[in-house]
Amino acid sequence: MSDPIFAVEHLTLAYPGDRGRPAVSVLTDVSLNMARGGALTLVGPSGSGKSTLLRCLNRLEEPTAGTVRFDGRDVRSLDPRELRRRAALVMQTPVLFEGTVRDNLWLRPAGTPGDFSEARLSEVLIEVGLEPLFLDRDAATLSGGEKQRVTIARALLRDPQALLLDEPTSALDPPNAALVVETISRAREARRLSIVAVTHQPELVRHLGGSLLFLVRGRVEAYERLDGGASAIGDARLQAFLAGESPRAVPAKP
Amino acid sequence: MIDLSLGQLGLALLLVGVVVLVSLRQGLGLERDLLVGSVRTIVQLYLVGLILAAVFSAARWYLVVLVVAVMTAVATQAAVSRLAKPIPGGHQIAALALTVSTAVTLAYVIGVVVRVRPWYEPQYVIPIAGMILGNAMTSAALAGDRLQGDLRSRAPEVETMLALGFSGREAVQPLVRAALRAAMIPTVNGMMTVGVVQLPGMMTGQILAGSSPLLAIGYQIMVMFMLAAGTAMASLLFVRLAAGRYLTAAHQLRRYLL
Repeated sequence: MSDPIFAVEHLTLAYPGDRGRPAVSVLTDVSLNMARGGALTLVGPSGSGKSTLLRCLNRLEEPTAGTVRFDGRDVRSLDPRELRRRAALVMQTPVLFEGTVRDNLWLRPAGTPGDFSEARLSEVLIEVGLEPLFLDRDAATLSGGEKQRVTIARALLRDPQALLLDEPTSALDPPNAALVVETISRAREARRLSIVAVTHQPELVRHLGGSLLFLVRGRVEAYERLDGGASAIGDARLQAFLAGESPRAVPAKP
Repeated sequence: MIDLSLGQLGLALLLVGVVVLVSLRQGLGLERDLLVGSVRTIVQLYLVGLILAAVFSAARWYLVVLVVAVMTAVATQAAVSRLAKPIPGGHQIAALALTVSTAVTLAYVIGVVVRVRPWYEPQYVIPIAGMILGNAMTSAALAGDRLQGDLRSRAPEVETMLALGFSGREAVQPLVRAALRAAMIPTVNGMMTVGVVQLPGMMTGQILAGSSPLLAIGYQIMVMFMLAAGTAMASLLFVRLAAGRYLTAAHQLRRYLL
């Protein structure tokens, strides 16, 4: 791949052990490459290190060894705050702060570049399928699905190159989850965003396409491209996962 | 002031005897603790009395400094021992916060407000240092406990701020503020009700020792102001430094420490 947006090489992460106990290994020798504008889904049983890997991409976590490159540069050579603006993270449980939707969209460190005008805020809300009237709503009164769409709007407002999604739909009921999947797919096409998502939902994987990385206990079990359709997938567990009708289907334990 | 004889102290011990009887009757199971507590009260206070009597009569500056240093060390240990999970480097942080807050407040009170001559007069320095330390210790422990609990329960909030491009310091600021408020509330409440709900220990002691209540309130007013400054400084230093231990230079929250 000539010009990847993310290139991860031999990434290993372990937390120091608690009071003399041995270190806890979370990720071991993970490598991946992702094309600009592409999509990558991280799947695996809970505790397999998917979220940690995702959080290494915007440097919320610090690897013990290995490198993460974003847009051709080692993330350690970038200001983490700048990196996080360009690779925006959306978390599983949406966090909105006290105040209106407008207050939440506005929330940014001093000196953040970008257009935060009223017109632009409305535009971004429409992009995630919410009425501009929502700007004046108290954030605490929104439904789970609405909150998640506001956090996606908050991320899009910063014009990121990549969107990092940590189980963006797992806290939502199926109709709301479907709306969020649709929102993400639409934003991706309109903005040529690169998307990395942790998910248990085959629905989201099918929508995003790109590649699928299967992690088990911090190691890469399978890493496959999806463009040939589900039948082209070599790994039987991933095939079963993709064919799954249940939105919460998880690849079987190894 | 009436000097208490050993016999009179024995009569006072009968009060604990009543509690032991109640404990036995009601099956509270506190007899052992009451016994140990009574013995410790007698032994600890007797030893402290002996040491203080020696320091008072020697009246050497280095002995006074030594006593205050030991008090600070014990307060440091007590401030961090109550935390649910140790803060990395918690001892050094607590020692620094308590030493700085106590030294600054004590220097101001002894040197500028009361103007004790010589400055190391143990009769003034030791009790005043003890009051500052005791309150600083409690407020630092409260602040640390609150910060740690909030970091655990509000980690997603902190990380949302970080993911939006805020610095580590900006991301924990709301939690630091909440911890400081929690630490300062007892002191502020104390200032609101002092003398009305109960007479403070120092004032009680002065009155029992024969001072006029008007002299005693003068000291008590100074003590209240001094404690407000000491607790604010101790908790601010402790919380700021402790919050820093949970953050990295790359604006990351060290979640595995929580």
